[in-house]
Amino acid sequence: MNEKIEEILYKVEKPSRYIGGEINSYKKEIMENTIRFGFAFPDIYEVGMSHLGMHIIYNLLNQIDDVYCERIFSPWIDLEEILRKENVPLFTLETQSPIDQMDFIGFTLQYELSYSNILNILDLGNIPLKSSDRNSSHPIIIAGGPCAYNPEPLAEIIDVFVLGESEEVLMEIMDVYRNVKTEDLSRQEFLEKISEIQGVYIPSFYEVEYNDDNTIKNFKPKQDRYPIKIKKRIIKELDDIFYPEKVIVPYTDVVHDRAMIEIFRGCTRGCRFCQAGMIYRPIRERKSEKALELADKLLKSTGYEEISISSLSTSDYSQLNELVRSLIDNYLSKKIGVSVPSLRLDSFSIKLIEEIQKVRKTGLTFAPEAGTQRLRDVINKGITEKDLTEATANAFELGWNSVKLYFMIGLPTETYKDLDGIADLGYKVVDIYYDTPKEKRGKGLNVTISTSSFVPKPFTPFQWEPQDTTETLVEKQNYLKDKLRHRNIIYNYHDSKTSFLEAVFARGDRKLSDVLIKAWEMGCKFDGWQEHFRYETWIKAFDECGIDPSFYANRKRKYDEILPWDHIDIGVTKKYLINENEKSKEGKLTQDCRSQCTGCGINSGFIGGVC
Amino acid sequence: MHKILIKYTKVDRMKFISHLELIRVIERALRRADIPLRFSQGFNPHPKISFASPLSVGVSSEGEYMTVEVNEKIDLGRFKDRLNSELPEGIKFIKCKYIDSKSKSLMSLVEYGTYIVKCNTKREYKKNEIEKILTNFLNRNEILFKKRGKRNKVKIINIKKLIKNMSVLSVEKKDIIFRITLSTGSRGNLKPDIVIEKLAENTELAIDLQKIRVHRLETFFFENKKGLVPLEKIN
Ligand code: SF4
Repeated sequence: MNEKIEEILYKVEKPSRYIGGEINSYKKEIMENTIRFGFAFPDIYEVGMSHLGMHIIYNLLNQIDDVYCERIFSPWIDLEEILRKENVPLFTLETQSPIDQMDFIGFTLQYELSYSNILNILDLGNIPLKSSDRNSSHPIIIAGGPCAYNPEPLAEIIDVFVLGESEEVLMEIMDVYRNVKTEDLSRQEFLEKISEIQGVYIPSFYEVEYNDDNTIKNFKPKQDRYPIKIKKRIIKELDDIFYPEKVIVPYTDVVHDRAMIEIFRGCTRGCRFCQAGMIYRPIRERKSEKALELADKLLKSTGYEEISISSLSTSDYSQLNELVRSLIDNYLSKKIGVSVPSLRLDSFSIKLIEEIQKVRKTGLTFAPEAGTQRLRDVINKGITEKDLTEATANAFELGWNSVKLYFMIGLPTETYKDLDGIADLGYKVVDIYYDTPKEKRGKGLNVTISTSSFVPKPFTPFQWEPQDTTETLVEKQNYLKDKLRHRNIIYNYHDSKTSFLEAVFARGDRKLSDVLIKAWEMGCKFDGWQEHFRYETWIKAFDECGIDPSFYANRKRKYDEILPWDHIDIGVTKKYLINENEKSKEGKLTQDCRSQCTGCGINSGFIGGVC
Repeated sequence: MHKILIKYTKVDRMKFISHLELIRVIERALRRADIPLRFSQGFNPHPKISFASPLSVGVSSEGEYMTVEVNEKIDLGRFKDRLNSELPEGIKFIKCKYIDSKSKSLMSLVEYGTYIVKCNTKREYKKNEIEKILTNFLNRNEILFKKRGKRNKVKIINIKKLIKNMSVLSVEKKDIIFRITLSTGSRGNLKPDIVIEKLAENTELAIDLQKIRVHRLETFFFENKKGLVPLEKIN
């Protein structure tokens, strides 16, 4: 261990976050030709290590002989303070190297509120924040993940974006980079070359013109050879693609501290607010035999006491029953718990959960998202009140006594009637409990109702819709707070200011890079952490840059407006999204496209024949 | 049911993991090694592992102990090798043996720990100078320490009787190394850094309290005839 860093670690809280050397982490010899890749998660270790994508990329890259992928996380406040005071650059976990020694630093963009942490990481590594201020002595800053689908707010910071599933594209980029290592290619030539790879977007190769009203007038490549539209990448066959058979086992208690098996990508439900449901199309499943095989290897290599299956909507997995039952059968005797998140609660899943409960206790959650049938139809959430009441009745009879209900407030067309609907559902659940025979139901009822605030996201049918102002959201929250005073009900809600900032960056354009830098200079970081979120500072930063944040969050956009992310092609067509938005206004449902294609466009031009 | 007594080290970067983290590290290593573990009953079954005396974060040790309960008698040589290949660098099983499955818990047996403590002084001292200071310090009738207990209650205790012995091992420029044996365990527990703090507070020895480095050498139980006996001698 590096002596200086060791000395520092004596002074911080939870040093185990920074020491590396965990089981299944990689130790490689660094040679002249080694491509050093720093995988950076712009949040603390406990959050980053819970993220499945990080484990996939880490292992994928480290499988390549001449690539060494190391991990970088945001240091917690206490460590940052010492690093700055003692002038020690932020270091990687694997070799404790200063991060500017990497050839690449790859950020994963999981949520907009982590952007300020990206800047903080770069700065702690003595790396200039703006792409234009860096040269070949600096690492190439690359980014991917769901927020990369609207890369524009980070356009001046990130050198290279990777759109879509990055397993293949990263390998292709490494192949080209070898020529930089041997000095056959310059940094500029490298960027030129990889701009030809599908899924690669280099923002500095494009320029934007704005209208007087600040909307975009023109977005175009600076050279004809750069693609006008950048298509995302998708992996065709999930069963053939790399999936790690071993993952790093953290020492410390991370958020998701268990083995995870990804069973499918994509979702066919078509909820109109949901970005994941659009950007990850089409749906591709992993066969249950393959999933079981991976589960076994993972459990053997990690020693985890819990296995979880991961997907956007577990109930939609065609072989769910076989899979979960086999997992339970295989691991019950070893006291390995099975957890099955994102289940739709019907009688089938209740039975399944009951079986899982034999090993480990899990909570019961429902996500109706909206309080009335009308609004649920608007958002295309195909769940009925009957589904909910039957499932809770069922669950209470089986002895459950704690239920969580998730809703969204501020959805398009929402009125106070819909809020009443949320409260009504809550009270109905309470009634159902008291109607359940005493000898059957568990003692003491807990109904938790949580509301998040609707954030319109790019590439959803609601991408043109305004977000409620923070004042309106607070009024709605207060209204519900009043309505939900009951000894069995707990009401939680998300901070509306946080949701506002999220909405600004989700649909922001290039001008936001400067605001981001300004806000960071003024001390903003860890914006996703309530105790660190400094809303007033953010507003000041917007002011100083002469930018009105509500332009991005609260403005209704027209269909013919050029959206900042229009040059990104996720496969789902704009026409489809417009049509879905129009249908929502009439409360018309769109069926799950598993039963019949609803024409989103992903099957033409991307991977024909999959859907 | 069989009970294995294990003596192990916790050094290098592993000194930075907390006791709770250590438990998880050990449990998962045992699972990877596919050891036939015994589990507790209830909703969240846990393997039956118990430890002698938790270390504070930052303290290293070459004399740690735990017991593991297994369902079948397994070969201990292989057990040790297998586990050592599954444990992260810095934790190493050095001795394993079967002990009476009904033996008392390690936690209730531990009485003493011996430590090496490295400190920095603000100026240079000679060894005999420090020894004199130390003798005076240890000859005091009472060394009082304000202990913060549960619910933030402050209790004043006399730690003098918890110090079994203390000597100066070496002095080199501004580095002093002490060897200290202290009460460790449920019947009295004193951390070495507190002794150093008190030493600095009550004498003219100017020690940098930010830089106390502690290493545990051995953990003991007490027998009337033999005195301090390393835990590895448990039967
Ligand atoms: S192409 Fe059709 S089936 Fe495929 S995801 Fe789109 S709507 Fe669904």
